[in-house]
Amino acid sequence: MDAAAPSLQRFMARVTVSAAALALVTGAIYVLQTVAPILSLGVLYVFAVLPVAIIGGLPYALPVAVASMLAFNWLFLPPKYTFELRESENWVALAVYLATAVVVSELAARSRRRAAEAEQRAREAALLAEVAGVLLEGSSVQAELAGIELRVASVLGASGATIKLETEQPPDAEESAYDLRAGDRFIGRLFLPDETRARSSARVLGALASLLAVAVDRERLARTALEAEALRRSDEAKTALLRAVSHDLRSPLTAIRAATDGLTTASLALDEADRAALLATIDAESKRLERLVGNLLDLSRLEAGAATPQRELWTLEDLVGRALADLGAAAERVSVSIADDLPPIRVDGTQIERVLVNLLDNALKYSAPADPVGLSAERGDGAVLVRIVDLGPGVDEDDRERLFEPFERGTAGGASPGAGLGLAIVRGFARANDGSVWLEPGHPYGTSFVVSLPSATPHGAPVGA
Amino acid sequence: MSGPRVLVVDDEPQIVRALQTTLRGAGYEVETASTGREALTHAAVRTPEAVILDLVLPDKSGVDVCRELRDWTQIPILILSAVGEERQKVAALDAGADDYVTKPFGIEELLARLRAALRRTGPVGEPVLEIGELRIDLDKREVLRDGERIQLTPHEFALLRLLGVNEGKLLTHRMILRDVWGPAYQAESHYLHVYVSQLRRKIERDPTRPRYLLTEPGAGYRLVAP
Repeated sequence: MDAAAPSLQRFMARVTVSAAALALVTGAIYVLQTVAPILSLGVLYVFAVLPVAIIGGLPYALPVAVASMLAFNWLFLPPKYTFELRESENWVALAVYLATAVVVSELAARSRRRAAEAEQRAREAALLAEVAGVLLEGSSVQAELAGIELRVASVLGASGATIKLETEQPPDAEESAYDLRAGDRFIGRLFLPDETRARSSARVLGALASLLAVAVDRERLARTALEAEALRRSDEAKTALLRAVSHDLRSPLTAIRAATDGLTTASLALDEADRAALLATIDAESKRLERLVGNLLDLSRLEAGAATPQRELWTLEDLVGRALADLGAAAERVSVSIADDLPPIRVDGTQIERVLVNLLDNALKYSAPADPVGLSAERGDGAVLVRIVDLGPGVDEDDRERLFEPFERGTAGGASPGAGLGLAIVRGFARANDGSVWLEPGHPYGTSFVVSLPSATPHGAPVGA
Repeated sequence: MSGPRVLVVDDEPQIVRALQTTLRGAGYEVETASTGREALTHAAVRTPEAVILDLVLPDKSGVDVCRELRDWTQIPILILSAVGEERQKVAALDAGADDYVTKPFGIEELLARLRAALRRTGPVGEPVLEIGELRIDLDKREVLRDGERIQLTPHEFALLRLLGVNEGKLLTHRMILRDVWGPAYQAESHYLHVYVSQLRRKIERDPTRPRYLLTEPGAGYRLVAP
């Protein structure tokens, strides 16, 4: 960029070019004067004026024109080596020549300016197109600003540029600020260093401001849409929760209501076995309600981050026993096999019991009433692995992770009802106790949930105490 | 002695167990099924006299079961529905279910609906319907309340006749519109609301507290003897 070069150097270069052009044409005329009338050769000096006019403009072309006129007079017009002219028409010729040189150099300078301006416009158009592309495809306006600043600086001929959105911060000592406005709207400021006479134009600044305005607006809209989407999702989750919970509450309530009605309606002929069956229903379904309410509380505690485990030493047998007792008669289908060499685990007994109850409850719920549910435990690498296996419909591969989100249920289980809280609680509690839980497909069908719980340190020293 | 055979279809074993015990106590013979497929097989093989059907089943919806049953049998179908399942409930009624109870339901209510549904099997043959103080003469197209003649427009009469012939049965908006106004009108439930309120003004003593023509919110209407 010539704007960046020191002006003295540029001046010297132009003077040198001017002198060289003058000398070159003078030499040519000297050679040609033997074959052509000398007066007609004066016009050749236009070839010296023209390039100088193109490179340096009128300020350089005019001295060259005058100098070449004087040189022509001195060197070639009689009497030679004087500035005097023998014939008066030679004065006219010199005047015409000077006028021609001036006009030609002005025209040349003007067309040069035009060309430069067209070039600059093309650069600006390319800049704007590029900026528009970057803003459209980029991730965020802020993230793309650095790239845009570089391009703007290069096109405006500045050594650097800074764009600050939505701030009217004053410029530093050695820079100037240009407001970016789209219509009446203030978008931000462009800061350019003072040392360069940047070719900033109102045109490019306006267009740049408009582009930035559109991008900023677009970003804001996208953000609003995203927020609305998040709200809608949480709303949907709440609706799903209410729906699922009301279903989960209603099923046991329906059974309890039918059973109590049966017991209290005098007109029904019930024998002792019938009464016992109805009472057993009431008992089992109240327990189910209790579990659901427990799950809701657990989940809200987990979501609130208030599920700090109360760690104690437990054997897995104890916890499995408690879980089976909690499930009551339904647990008769569970066949248990626990390895003899299991180390104790240091966990919150209540929370891990909830993990086992929920997994067993699911396994029982999603498999046929006649099918067994298996619970096995073995020693893993520094951990105890508990496997709960059912022969139910299994879980589609796509569902395997999603299933652990609250209110999610698998698709393979058909319309089987439930709030889908169980697995969210299972994972929450397992993690709170430094354990993990995952899902393995059964062979050849069914589902196997694996819970890994860290075994207590070999010496029984308290962990983390 | 064993009473009418009833098929109970629900995937909640505790609900099935409670219903089984109480229905048996009320003198019914009870069959149970926990899936839609099982229900259809039982209905075909054991030929129950009524079906109590949950809307949500693991393999297919109660609506589908209802539709498939109606392909070959007119036995009464009583739907067990829950809040939030209104749309499926109406779909099941449109598919031919006779009535519904909402979970959790009282056993007395269920037994009453079941008795009414069993009573209704077979078309009503008599030309004169007597419902409470109402006397509807289908031949003469005449309606008397307490011996007093009530003037009805042809559409009002058609509406009353349809509800009267199906006394006690819940008729969905769609069924009534199709029967009284024709298939092209079956989505125009505002028609129906207007005619029902006109009819109530003529047959009810207090149209704001109807005793004959009852609204089942979101589902339809039924005509009962008070």
